[in-house]
Amino acid sequence: MLVKLAWRNVWRNKLRTSIMLGAMIFGAVGVMLMMGFMNGIINNLVKNTIQWQTSHIQIHQKNYALNPDINLVIDNEAEITKWLEQAPQVKAWTSRTLVNGMIASARSTRGIQVNGIDLESEPKITPIAEHILEGEWLDDKGRNPILVSQKTADRLKLRVGSKIVLTFTDTTGDVTGAAFRVRGIFKTSSSTFDDANVYVRKTDIQQLGQVYFDHEIAILLHAEDQVSAFSDQLNKTFSAPSLNNHSKSNNIVQDWLQLQPLLSTMMSSMDAGNQIILIIFVAAMGFGIINILLMSVFERTREFGVLMAVGMKKTNIRRLIILESGFIGGVGAGLGVFCSIFFIYVLNQTGIPLDTMAEGLNAFGVDSTLYPSVSLNDYVTVFTMVWLVSIFSGLYPAHQIIKKNPVEAMAEKQ
Amino acid sequence: MTIKIEQLCKTYNPESEFPVHAVDHLDLNIEQGEFVAVIGPSGSGKTTLLNMLGGIDKVSSGTVNIDGNELTLMNEKQLIEFRRDNIGFIFQDYSLLPVLTALENVEFVMKLQGHAESKCKQRAQELLKKVGLEQQQHKRPAQLSGGQQQRVAVARALAPRPRFIMADEPTANLDAKSTAELLDIMESLNKEEGTTFIFSTHDSRVFERAKRVIVFEDGMLKEDK
Repeated sequence: MLVKLAWRNVWRNKLRTSIMLGAMIFGAVGVMLMMGFMNGIINNLVKNTIQWQTSHIQIHQKNYALNPDINLVIDNEAEITKWLEQAPQVKAWTSRTLVNGMIASARSTRGIQVNGIDLESEPKITPIAEHILEGEWLDDKGRNPILVSQKTADRLKLRVGSKIVLTFTDTTGDVTGAAFRVRGIFKTSSSTFDDANVYVRKTDIQQLGQVYFDHEIAILLHAEDQVSAFSDQLNKTFSAPSLNNHSKSNNIVQDWLQLQPLLSTMMSSMDAGNQIILIIFVAAMGFGIINILLMSVFERTREFGVLMAVGMKKTNIRRLIILESGFIGGVGAGLGVFCSIFFIYVLNQTGIPLDTMAEGLNAFGVDSTLYPSVSLNDYVTVFTMVWLVSIFSGLYPAHQIIKKNPVEAMAEKQ
Repeated sequence: MTIKIEQLCKTYNPESEFPVHAVDHLDLNIEQGEFVAVIGPSGSGKTTLLNMLGGIDKVSSGTVNIDGNELTLMNEKQLIEFRRDNIGFIFQDYSLLPVLTALENVEFVMKLQGHAESKCKQRAQELLKKVGLEQQQHKRPAQLSGGQQQRVAVARALAPRPRFIMADEPTANLDAKSTAELLDIMESLNKEEGTTFIFSTHDSRVFERAKRVIVFEDGMLKEDK
């Protein structure tokens, strides 16, 4: 009976209830789109970071991150790669020889990281082969081919076939170098990454630098949720004394969050930002509901007096008002979430083109088309918060009414 | 069942310089099955008396005893339950719940008492038939005339089989025809159900049909005939 009465009371003033619901729906859609947009940026950033830079896990010599010296190669690489071949969680892995050096063309010179890559395994880890704008992917043919980014090509005035010179310090401490010919020009979603990286065959750079081991092993897993556990497993396995020489390994295993602490901080900040936006929205909506309910309840004060007079307990009157606010909140939150799901689904299919901001976004490694996404958890959180705040919003008007005795309440003019 | 009132007082603004004695040291007995009109000029304390008899207003002093139950000693919860089970109210402005149909309004108090759905419906339909609104049972108050709404209010008051009905100027908003019809209904229900009716009124057409008339003036009993 209370449920029926509360539901009908909600629709007593259809215009007022509709306006309130409209405000809740617009607010919820706005908040969800904002959250979806932020999630879209973060997801894209994470995806690009994993695809292009960090993979899921990387192994280095433990001092390499502090000082990327050519001599700081991975300990027991053969053992690790053999183990990775047998690990069922691993989707793909590759090893890289990395050197920091200078790239020089006839026009200009720049500092650069030279990635010596394995031509077979690298495309399974990074989609570089699919991002060649001009020219071709590296192969075994020819002498010293190199892939440069479009940005580097523009800066050094390079074209496919242009000759450049790479110089760097070899393992003996001598400066070494060689001429390379541009085989292809690539472009990734991160202009910062493009600015700092070139790709050559691993064998070429190893021969030049007299370094015959790798500096980096990049691993991609089948499932992202296995990253932490697998990283721990790798750490335990290869931090123990090595099978061959019984000495403790000097390697460090890091997952993508450890490799990109800034990204981790950004994710936390975005999460906090989303929560703050949600709290502001829910608080504003709560005040709106209190306002509507106060109007709705106080204009019925006499009616509540009659209900008390005919024997309705005050607890039931409180329940009635809270049910009304719960209905408004439930319907508003439900419709708001439903509309949000619709809009986010549509935008997720079409994407949001942000071409005017492309340069700025690319500097952070974000694509210029964003695909907003909201997790089921976020939908449930928004729905629950809106609904709970609505219910709590009913407490104050209910308290104001049940303070009165029947005669006082009935004395109020309608 | 008897209502026994002793030295009943209700004073508004007792601390002020000019306290208002709405009911002043009243002694009164009302027996089960009576059809009582309380009459008097505006401001004489009729409504205040009915409110105190119905347990919806607090007394300043004195006692209201209904069949051994002292209303002035009951806490709020006991008072609500006592009202729900023993006293029906009819108000001048009908005070029906606008979102419920006539049938649902009549069932309402019975449902508060916890009766089964089918029993509530049966009783409500029976009462609506008695007040001549069988055909209007699914209409909401806004779709009924004033007289019809007051008849629904009478049916609602009677639904939980209360021992007393307190009616505060029940015919004040009704035309002569509706007033006569309502009085006929109240009289017949008084006879058939044995319910005690106590109603305040200004209307001579109403109090002329009462079996007992209590004349009230300045919060004091002037005449009881």
